[in-house]
Amino acid sequence: GEDESLERGRQLYLEGTQPQCGVCHTLEEAGTSGGIGPNLDNLQPTEEAVRAAVRDGVGVMPAFSDSLSPEEIEAIASYVVSVTQD
Amino acid sequence: METARIHRRHFLIGSASTAGAIAAAGVTGSSFPAFAAETKELPDYVSWKDADKLIMHTEQTLEMKRGAGGTSVITPNEEVYIRNNLPSPDESIVADRDAWEVSIEGVNDPRTLTVGELKNIGIETVATVLQCSGNGRGFYEHETSGSQWLTGAAGCILWSGVPVRKVVEELGGLADGGNFMTSTGGEQLPEGVEEKDIIVERSVPAEAMENAILAWEMNGDEMPLAHGGPLRMIVPGYYGINNVKYVKRVAFTEEETDAKIQASGYRVRPVGVDGAPDQPSMWEMQVKSWVTHPLKDSESGRVQIYGVAFGGDKPVEKVEVSLDGGESWQDASFIGPDLGRFAWRPFLLTADLEPGDYVITSRATDSDGNVQPESTEPNHRGYDYNGWDRLAVEVTVV
Repeated sequence: GEDESLERGRQLYLEGTQPQCGVCHTLEEAGTSGGIGPNLDNLQPTEEAVRAAVRDGVGVMPAFSDSLSPEEIEAIASYVVSVTQD
Repeated sequence: METARIHRRHFLIGSASTAGAIAAAGVTGSSFPAFAAETKELPDYVSWKDADKLIMHTEQTLEMKRGAGGTSVITPNEEVYIRNNLPSPDESIVADRDAWEVSIEGVNDPRTLTVGELKNIGIETVATVLQCSGNGRGFYEHETSGSQWLTGAAGCILWSGVPVRKVVEELGGLADGGNFMTSTGGEQLPEGVEEKDIIVERSVPAEAMENAILAWEMNGDEMPLAHGGPLRMIVPGYYGINNVKYVKRVAFTEEETDAKIQASGYRVRPVGVDGAPDQPSMWEMQVKSWVTHPLKDSESGRVQIYGVAFGGDKPVEKVEVSLDGGESWQDASFIGPDLGRFAWRPFLLTADLEPGDYVITSRATDSDGNVQPESTEPNHRGYDYNGWDRLAVEVTVV
């Protein structure tokens, strides 16, 4: 269900990438406070923006399309959007 | 009305507030930036900037609104866009600017020099267009990562500093094998990340040294921290990413750096293809222009149509303006002084407009005869859209 997918997204956000998302990003719900990339709570990105950024990278942010499946990228995007929208 | 369809689509992909902003301003179809109506507080490191003239995409990406910047060639520091790949270093690095050190390598007498010492080697001022590689990304139709810049990730700036060629001469000339000039940024890197994955380090062909300067001044002010102070590498004619901020090392190297930002980042490739070192790097800029006025409904009668044009690493020679979406063109004239081949030139066409709908756009030609194209071939990361089709603005004259 939806909750499972969000939980999967949360787990991938926390542990599914190298470096981990939270090393660079602040996301209150996940308890991360990285200060390198944008603060996701402030940014409130769209799903499209997260999906594209994780897949292709942005500036110094690496592309994760080789290490994550499209479904995993989608799960991260859904999770980040769900916990950052007002 | 293919062009009109494209433009409507482009502001539909902005936030809901974009449509509101356009409605409120009575704009019928210009490519107005997203978030125009939102007032977001600027982060501390850029709190001195003019928030009314900027669009904040993220804390590290600020775009100048189309129509800001004026017509007097140089873009005021308060309005120049920001694209920081890493957070701005602590203010303490500009406490004693002359003490900042840069290591010069790949020369016969490699040394670490302070800014104070560089100031004694020579001084030169150069005007350049500073433009983010992603300027115009928002005009592409495919899904791209990164800020959806329209026209405002660009400005024209006067930089003062020491010519790199003079520094090299002072240090005994280039050592053998210096094919590339590799500059490294002095940002602090986080723990838990491989240095090469995240460091801002860019290589350009060593010939770029002939025009490059190590700059400590920006438009007459000390180089602001947000723009790379105390010391920034300026590579005239090259995209912004090559103009490394807080530069702490300049090395003449046999190979390009293997830092990710060089090896796989900032590479031009077809949509769906991964970045790799054999693809073209975002180095020299290309011919480009866009209209900055009018952007919204105008009264009929005499209208001043103006904008900016540049040739990248060549002088811009000619600018034409179309009022009918590219069906016909008229020559524009240049406004103001020519600040050299790396600067942009504001242009002007005075027109007498009857009531009606207009699709206004411009087309620049550089000194080699390269003409700004009608449309830009899509590339994966959505770099530098320079097609005059989507850079057009729709204006209703009443």
